[in-house]
Amino acid sequence: MKTLKKFAHVNAKTVDEAASLLRSGHAAVLSGGTDLLGTLRFEVLPTYPEVLVNLKTIPGMDYIREEGGMLKIGALTRLEDIAKKELIQKKYTALAEGAHRTATPHIREMGTIAGNICQLNRCWYFRNPDNRFNCIRKGGKMCYAMAGDNRYHSIFGAVKMCLAVNPSDTAPALVALNAKIKTNKRLIEAENFWDMVVPGSTILAADEIVTEIQIPTPAAGCKSAFIKFAIRKSIDFPIVNCAAMIGNGNARICLNAVYNKPYRALKAEELIKGKIDEDTADAAGAAAVATAKALPGDRNKWKIPIAKTMVKRAILACA
Amino acid sequence: MSEEKNKPIKKDDSEGSGHISRRDFLKDAGLAVGAPALGSIAVSTEASAQAKANASAAKGASASAAQPAAELVPVELTVNGGKYRYMVEPHWTLRQLLRDEVGFTSPKDWCGGLGACGSCTVIMNGRPVLSCLTLACECGGAVIETAEGIAKAKHPIIQAYINNNAFQCGYCTPGFVCTAKALLDKNPDPTEADVRDALGGNLCRCATYQRHPPAVLEAAASLKQKA
Repeated sequence: MKTLKKFAHVNAKTVDEAASLLRSGHAAVLSGGTDLLGTLRFEVLPTYPEVLVNLKTIPGMDYIREEGGMLKIGALTRLEDIAKKELIQKKYTALAEGAHRTATPHIREMGTIAGNICQLNRCWYFRNPDNRFNCIRKGGKMCYAMAGDNRYHSIFGAVKMCLAVNPSDTAPALVALNAKIKTNKRLIEAENFWDMVVPGSTILAADEIVTEIQIPTPAAGCKSAFIKFAIRKSIDFPIVNCAAMIGNGNARICLNAVYNKPYRALKAEELIKGKIDEDTADAAGAAAVATAKALPGDRNKWKIPIAKTMVKRAILACA
Repeated sequence: MSEEKNKPIKKDDSEGSGHISRRDFLKDAGLAVGAPALGSIAVSTEASAQAKANASAAKGASASAAQPAAELVPVELTVNGGKYRYMVEPHWTLRQLLRDEVGFTSPKDWCGGLGACGSCTVIMNGRPVLSCLTLACECGGAVIETAEGIAKAKHPIIQAYINNNAFQCGYCTPGFVCTAKALLDKNPDPTEADVRDALGGNLCRCATYQRHPPAVLEAAASLKQKA
């Protein structure tokens, strides 16, 4: 096993303390560690942090409660606790299911919701050990997936020339449920939370820390669902996943692992605001991928019909 | 992995069963041969660790609060009922500490530290976790159970695994056993679907997958009988 290189480790006591440590540069945030420690061990990124700032020692960041017409989830709440919570299973089904389908039971016991939405994107060139490909996502000049093997890459084109996909299973659920993400600086609509920022996947500043997820309680008559396609039922990252919340004449549908960030299927949403049946769901699925395009070489063409079907199934699961 | 050896400050003898395993025999045989040399190494590592600790403490005083110096972290943890105290480096994983320092070798390495195989599973504070992705310095106060502890406690899961032949080469078995025990602790009456779900993160290269659910269900049944 490759060992980790040396770093200092600080147990933060407050969010402010953690933020000030991050401001000093050369520091990385550590919560569950399931993404970070693998990236460090295999030296995926060109830089190696000098300090890991442990957030798990900050008290009062692990909670699930409903108050003021919304569900509040502490940033350090573990995915397994979210998946098993009956309240979330009943009223925020897409999130419970998304959390449950994430990775493996062990990783869900360790990984936090904030870590899941802040994880780095996946692309086998970007994630190759020992920083072998200095790609655009690491500040390099080119995207190796554009000309290389891109069978798992974006079907909706590049963002700032990067084709890596966002692999989170909870992210599309949060977008579909119209969540807001609270940090130590601001409140961000889930939809605007992700972007291609070298090498990260979110719009967060270097010293910005997610503190809470807020989800408005869905109106009566609204149903939500999450569907995932992966090679194996457990362990695997999604090839395509889709979350939907439909009811009361409204629909929010979000795909993930098909684009650089969670991809809201606005055209499908337009079509499904009326009644849901097999035909309308099928049409909505087709509309969702109407602008999808395989990359040169057609290696990722297979993802398009899967994305269409995921949208259709997510819609039907909300019926 | 062994280039930065650390000396245990105190180690409880929690393995006084009188039973000699193949591993213990080999370890002891190796120790007897290397004993004179080891003695001197141990002294020097202690001295150098002390010097290092002093140096980093001095650095810590002069450096700004934003850039603390790396230093050894004292960790007290309970493993399989025994209490241990170690000085660990911040970049050590729990797996490293358990195998190289404490001496419990059941947390295996298969996927190389990606969190993709479940072979290094241990039960930490009731949760099945991957010891390769857990930092040792964060385990202060933790109560940890490894497959050795589960076997020593004669948990029915062990006999159930034997009865069902739920392994071939056995390399992944400690991980499976820990995961299964954590499930039974939380849910004494699991369905087959629950078992399959809980064991979803453990890989078995020999592909004995079909035999795990009956083994875990059998263990659950015999636990219920005992109660």
